[in-house]
Amino acid sequence: MNLMTNILINVIIAFFIGSLLFGLQRKIMARIQGRPGPPIIQHILHTFKFFIKESAFPYTAAMPFYIAITAMLSMIWVAAVIVGPVTGGSLLLIFGIYAVHKIVEHNAGSSSGSPYGKLSCVRAVYSAAAEIPLFAVLVIIYFKTGTMNITGLINYQTVHGPLLYAIPLAALMFFVLIMSKAPYSPFAITKGKDIVSGYETEHFGLLRGYLMMSESIAWYMLLWVFLTVFLGPISIPVYLIGMIVMSSIIAFINATTPLLNPNHSIMMQVTFAFIGIVGSFALLMI
Amino acid sequence: MDKLKTTSWILLIASFASIVYAIIFNPVSWIVYAISLVSIPLFILSLGLVTMAKGSKDEEEEKRREPFIGY
Repeated sequence: MNLMTNILINVIIAFFIGSLLFGLQRKIMARIQGRPGPPIIQHILHTFKFFIKESAFPYTAAMPFYIAITAMLSMIWVAAVIVGPVTGGSLLLIFGIYAVHKIVEHNAGSSSGSPYGKLSCVRAVYSAAAEIPLFAVLVIIYFKTGTMNITGLINYQTVHGPLLYAIPLAALMFFVLIMSKAPYSPFAITKGKDIVSGYETEHFGLLRGYLMMSESIAWYMLLWVFLTVFLGPISIPVYLIGMIVMSSIIAFINATTPLLNPNHSIMMQVTFAFIGIVGSFALLMI
Repeated sequence: MDKLKTTSWILLIASFASIVYAIIFNPVSWIVYAISLVSIPLFILSLGLVTMAKGSKDEEEEKRREPFIGY
């Protein structure tokens, strides 16, 4: 297949599946909380609706940075699609993309001029501590397999079996990291409802739709990376089932757990990281 | 046509043209990656900026009259 067509198809698939998984998450959360909840396609409908709504740009916004930062979020997750499903490139690039995601959260918050955005901007810096588990996961994977390449990791697991069984604590750390990116998650301090919508509060209309689109791609990619890195060579139906199962588990956790305050959220993630790193190295030495 | 609308139309046409170029002529990989990274996000953004609804002039005046509470 033509490379550009391949990239476009993967980006479109990532957007639609990511959006449906977000919709599913909201549905499950609602059912757990005794509400009927929105239809599963609601996230997609919202995204498209925001595109045709009247958009306003606040006077306090730092133009054109305020608009450019939304394009930046889209750019990094398109890059993730290229590094992941399209080329099977390096995990280090995924780590870099995740780090830039934090920078985007930070700058989107500060560029709007909203006090809620600014609080979210500070929290984005604060929650950079959540990247410790991700970095630790990469190091542990490298020690175990001797490669950082996604294709290499798939080949390794074809021979040695899924990494999920070999380094389960690294998988747990990665799972916690994915959870921190889920809406309504106990760790989602940058978008916590205590600061309205965090860095997205003053991105209205099409910019909100654009951010939602990128976040759907991000969600799909995080789940894709988890399933590829820890389960290895799996078929498309298994990917879909895996993504649905993981989104459902996260929805259950989100529905039953309150949003933690920033201190508790970071400490909890650092604790997971500590247990994961020490435990994984202990398992590697056995 | 205001400045934002003009810029959006230019970006929309340029990004669409570059994507079509990459599909039809299949250039070397790094050019395709560069086009995807820049043009896909710009295409979506500029499409949004072109299609978004705009308030009427009267409404805009009303909005301006609203007291700005400040931050």
